[in-house]
Amino acid sequence: MRNWITTPVMSLAFATVLSVGAAMAAADGPAGTFKYAEQVKLITMDPQQQSGSGVPYLRPVYESLFEMSPDGKPVPLLATGYKIDGLTVLITLREGVSFSNGEAFNAEVAAANINRGVKLGIIEGLKTVESADAADPYTLRIKLSEADPAIIDSLCFTGGMMLAPAAMADPAIDRNPVGTGPYVHSKDQSREGEVQVYTPNPTYWDKDQIGLARYEVWEIPDDTARLNALKTGQIDAGNWLANPQSAIIERTAGLKLIRNTGGLNYHVIISDREGTVVPAFADRNVRLAMAHSIDRAAFGKAVLFGLADDSYQPYAKGNWAYDPALEGVYAFDLAKARELMAQSKFPDGFAFDMPSIPIYQSRLEALAGFFKEINITMNIVPLEPGTLARRSRTTDFPATNLVWNTNTDPKFLALRYIYEDGAYNPFKAKPSDELLSLAKAGLESVETDQRGPIYRKMAARLAEEAFLIFVANSPILIGTSEKTAANPTVVYRYGEDSINLRGLKSND
Amino acid sequence: MLKLIVQRLLALVPLLFIVSVLTFSFTSLLPSDPVDLIIGDAGTQEQYEMVRHRLGLDEPVHLRYLQWLGRAVQGDLGTSFFNSVSVTGAVMQRLPVTLSLTVMSAIIAIVIGVAAGVAAALRPRSWIDRFATLGATFGQAVPNFWFGLILVAIFAVNLRWFPATGFTPLTQSPWEWLRSVILPSIALGTSSSAAIARQVRSAMVGVLQQDYIRAARAQGLPFRRVIFRHALTNAMVPVVAVLSFQITVLLGGALIVEQVFAINGLGTLAIGAVRQQDIPMLQGLVLVMVALVVAVQLATDVIYGLINPKARPS
Repeated sequence: MRNWITTPVMSLAFATVLSVGAAMAAADGPAGTFKYAEQVKLITMDPQQQSGSGVPYLRPVYESLFEMSPDGKPVPLLATGYKIDGLTVLITLREGVSFSNGEAFNAEVAAANINRGVKLGIIEGLKTVESADAADPYTLRIKLSEADPAIIDSLCFTGGMMLAPAAMADPAIDRNPVGTGPYVHSKDQSREGEVQVYTPNPTYWDKDQIGLARYEVWEIPDDTARLNALKTGQIDAGNWLANPQSAIIERTAGLKLIRNTGGLNYHVIISDREGTVVPAFADRNVRLAMAHSIDRAAFGKAVLFGLADDSYQPYAKGNWAYDPALEGVYAFDLAKARELMAQSKFPDGFAFDMPSIPIYQSRLEALAGFFKEINITMNIVPLEPGTLARRSRTTDFPATNLVWNTNTDPKFLALRYIYEDGAYNPFKAKPSDELLSLAKAGLESVETDQRGPIYRKMAARLAEEAFLIFVANSPILIGTSEKTAANPTVVYRYGEDSINLRGLKSND
Repeated sequence: MLKLIVQRLLALVPLLFIVSVLTFSFTSLLPSDPVDLIIGDAGTQEQYEMVRHRLGLDEPVHLRYLQWLGRAVQGDLGTSFFNSVSVTGAVMQRLPVTLSLTVMSAIIAIVIGVAAGVAAALRPRSWIDRFATLGATFGQAVPNFWFGLILVAIFAVNLRWFPATGFTPLTQSPWEWLRSVILPSIALGTSSSAAIARQVRSAMVGVLQQDYIRAARAQGLPFRRVIFRHALTNAMVPVVAVLSFQITVLLGGALIVEQVFAINGLGTLAIGAVRQQDIPMLQGLVLVMVALVVAVQLATDVIYGLINPKARPS
């Protein structure tokens, strides 16, 4: 039996990181306002129906069972510990917690939350959960359908956020959130489509952590407008992608660009790696030639405005599965790429179709230019925004291009791309025995110390087979004012584009 | 005049019907799919079918349309595909924002356009005329979103006179409301002021050469009275028609300018609805915009009739 109790020591360590802010908050009580700008519009405040970005709208109200410590380890929040025994996960819950509407938080409610999330099926991290129930009033039991070492990680994010029973029954839950978090959503003060306002939760279980009288999340999708709001002090912080505006923040006096842990890895996927539609893709020399033909430095500078790192593996620096030995494994080398093409069965080149959505157009134009140098013609086929993921799961295209959250557990890499029935393996290509055995070995332990070496080997093997060609890692970018940068209570959540609200105080 | 108003209002019914049929048909032809956005990257085919069924997207288009029409005639424009926000509520919340912007832009356009047009017409081929013509050309050539960005850079970011983004409701603070709409209204109204200036100049030059103006001057009427009472009133007849068109242009332009200033009006709502293929929201927005345009044209006809007795219906 694997017994991995999360000890109070870990909680204490995480709490220490936030202690400065918490102490200040405790001393002064809630005061002032903090204004955060979100680049995506608010779609829903139901965490279990949240399929994309927008977590900053949820965090003030909802707390998850666990959260990530600054070094990326799950630590308890609404939970107090857990143990995993095969396909059963037992999670002990914090007692004396109630939702802001007065309903009690206990194992029965937590189980109802997990079961609802499983039924809705939106959250990828809950796909391995069969069901949940209450082992006792404060012990949640989760039954898994298959071994899942990342289940606790999943409960750090939307999959582990707890909704009040009344909220779960509310058809308008997407605008009436009720959780256990430090703040409550003020519908009266919010303006739909413009700003969501949060005020202190009078029933919060850890009142000392409430440092603000008011927290606002502004919906400003236009990057320039968000930048102007930051410059003029209308907002204290906001999130950005790697674009010209974030590059401006970096070089503007009085503003600061924070590179938070995690981010997005942009990669090319050779879906048809057995050559069903494009025979050349079955040739490893061709795939390697493509990987070597990409000038990642130029790509990062021209397309991602110098805000990204070159990438040769699925994980970013700082992640427990990251392998520094893989840096430059298929570095830009045009002579080598041409040599590999000459050695392949397709020395005269070939053509293939690549799907594109507007935000990837410039990336694909750059890649098409690189591939052209080795006589490969990549035809860019425009798709409607929002359809790339679905079309990439079909045999409509022999290759595709996607992003991957670099903090996603490596087990999802196998689930998406490696297994024969992987979501993004539409041609049902059979994985090599080595990849398959590594993918399965990675599920046998919950300890990252044991899983790390396995996934590093998997990344090395992926680099050899070159059907996943990693291009660039863009970190999570948060633009802040000088005051926010100097605010000691501002702690950025690991792997998220949001600020930890527990202990956060205003800049003034 | 009452007959005209009633006629126009009655004509609105078939117009809205035709527009609703066209909007419904066209959005159904779009290749993107809102279900993809709802279920996300991890969504399965089963979920896809389930959500599609829940939204009624597996029904034939004509059936969906009839269901929508049945609710719409009772005043219910439906609910967004993506959340529980009602279309009517969302539109009504943003309508005052876009109307604020449009009305303020129209005022700026009229004040600048009429003043520049009259000044240019009083001294044709003078430096004032040339300057006004040059300004009008510039105003019409410059894209309003670019001009908006320049205004923000100078007056919001550098001088801090106005907020760079956002909108304050009039009911919350009239002064802050004014501050929040000034820059976007200037950005939006400049091109219309240029068009109005050209029209006013042209009309005024013609009117000022009329005999009755000479007669008025010969009778010793004060210059201002001749210009503003006799000449401008007559010159405004063709200008009103242009104004009607320009207000429609302003409504459309507001959609872009709202993005630049992060103003949460109908434009921002429309762009979000288009991106997400939120068909109920799009349908509601198009209907409201059509109704607004018709209202503007009706108001134009009424004003036209007031200032031009020949145009009044018998």
